[in-house]
Amino acid sequence: MSEYSWKELMAVVFSREIKDTDKITSGAHTEIFFAATMLAQKTHAPNLKLQLGGSVTLCNVTDMDVEELPKTSTGYELIRYAESVHDHADTFLFYGAPGGASYYKDDSDLRDINHFWFADKFFVGGIQADKWGNTNMIGLGTKDKMSFRGPGTIGINDIAVGVRDTYVFLTAHDKRRLVEKVDFISHPGKKVCRENEFYGGGPKWIVTPKCIFDFDPNTLEARLAQLFPGVTVEDIKANTGFEVKTASKVETVQPPTKQELEALRTEVDKTGVLRH
Amino acid sequence: MSKRRKEVVASVKDAAAMIQDGQTVAIGGFGADNHPMALVREIIRKGTKDLTIIASATAGLEIDLLIGAGCVKKLIAPYVGQEMYCPIGHNYRKYAESKQIEVWECSEYILYAGLFAAASGQEFFAWRGGVGTSIPELNPDLVQFTDPIGKTKKIIAVPPLRADWAIIHVGWSDVYGNGQHLGARFGDRWLARAADRIMTQAERIVPNSVIRRNPFMTTIAYADCVVEAPYGGHPYAAHGFYKEDVEFIQDYVRCSEANRKGDAATWDEYLKRHIQPDHYAYLDTVGIKKLLGLYTHPIVSW
Repeated sequence: MSEYSWKELMAVVFSREIKDTDKITSGAHTEIFFAATMLAQKTHAPNLKLQLGGSVTLCNVTDMDVEELPKTSTGYELIRYAESVHDHADTFLFYGAPGGASYYKDDSDLRDINHFWFADKFFVGGIQADKWGNTNMIGLGTKDKMSFRGPGTIGINDIAVGVRDTYVFLTAHDKRRLVEKVDFISHPGKKVCRENEFYGGGPKWIVTPKCIFDFDPNTLEARLAQLFPGVTVEDIKANTGFEVKTASKVETVQPPTKQELEALRTEVDKTGVLRH
Repeated sequence: MSKRRKEVVASVKDAAAMIQDGQTVAIGGFGADNHPMALVREIIRKGTKDLTIIASATAGLEIDLLIGAGCVKKLIAPYVGQEMYCPIGHNYRKYAESKQIEVWECSEYILYAGLFAAASGQEFFAWRGGVGTSIPELNPDLVQFTDPIGKTKKIIAVPPLRADWAIIHVGWSDVYGNGQHLGARFGDRWLARAADRIMTQAERIVPNSVIRRNPFMTTIAYADCVVEAPYGGHPYAAHGFYKEDVEFIQDYVRCSEANRKGDAATWDEYLKRHIQPDHYAYLDTVGIKKLLGLYTHPIVSW
């Protein structure tokens, strides 16, 4: 038994990804990302513009006591962390430049795309993901016979059009979830995003409890880039439903440091939602 | 000619009776918050059938309840569930998988685009989200076309989503139908604007002077019908008044899951327990101790 759970590791990995200048939207049912974003505000990104879920609460917890991780993205209790609450349709509207002030500098690599970038980062779940990074929240089966009705696309595809990087995450790593081709697309992968000239770049990573896939910049296909501690390439190959290609060098993710874990457990996830 | 303004207050029963079989009803709230549950339960009690439901952008289990009670023919919703309590509504799954309800596949902003189109009298609203996904394939009402300005990009034309009624929970309202949310408004204003007629369910009916004291806060003006239903949002939260009843929601999840798995008796018993002769009989079954325990300090106060 390791001294941290995979959920805690995932929260720490994403927290490290977050920059102080980022704008991030975190959707529903994503306790790992509530933790990652709040941890980032408390450790190294106090200016992170964080938009949480349904009530479009713009939250900053840098100087706040977080009693427990929110259970829903809409709850009345969540509003205690908010500095602003808008109508929900505003979720999909521009709320400041991605990348913060650097966007306005001439040398910014963000400006040649489009200013209506919705946010810098967004997290996307799914019941299936494929090698192109397409994910599926709609269901399993075919148009005429859905054997499993999924939760629905929520607002994922609306945001994907305009967010710089999405991060696909799966809460289990097996052949049922990581497939050659998803039954339905709710969030388009990099290839589809590019073909449709979206402002958004599509998924940067697919993250599972075992590893991180990134995308080959030429083929836009997923490739194994980082392993979680204790996981082998063979393990990934045996549990993935598409042929696993690897990056030129497969790294191992740094485990949470003592400081990261302490901040996570004492300032963000006091009740241990992620520990189990 | 009378100079007296018309008051639009009705009982829960009389209000719900205005909704006819086969009509389209938009239901406000979001997730586990601000659903007009007293009206929803009365619609079920009355046995209204074949409704087309326009749900909120993140519909909660209030829609799942209506489906499980057999009131719904067609559902317009990008999601039905309750996040960590219940990722996918069980009755929604059961009825969608067996094709007992028709699902109008959409996403949150496709829903809003349809509401905007209806509210503003347009033939369609254009939206890019959904291009490159399976949504247009699953929903033939959505039409893809090429951007007539830039000439290259694909865009989806979303037709108007018009409702016969919007039923919306508000914090309080006056007798003339001026309602104010005392917390998040979610998509309620858009659901209301896309409807021919609006029915609000208020925690309290307040004097018109309370509305006039802060008209900036009026979110739903001139509703066609207002009902007063204290704790009318239970088991969900009503912003400004109380939080959601977690145990109650967990019980719902358990009973609806049983129904999905073929145990209709558990579900029928659930409906029997909760669909009471009127709203106050329902509150009696919940119990005063439970209800008062859900109180939250009103964050919004003036």
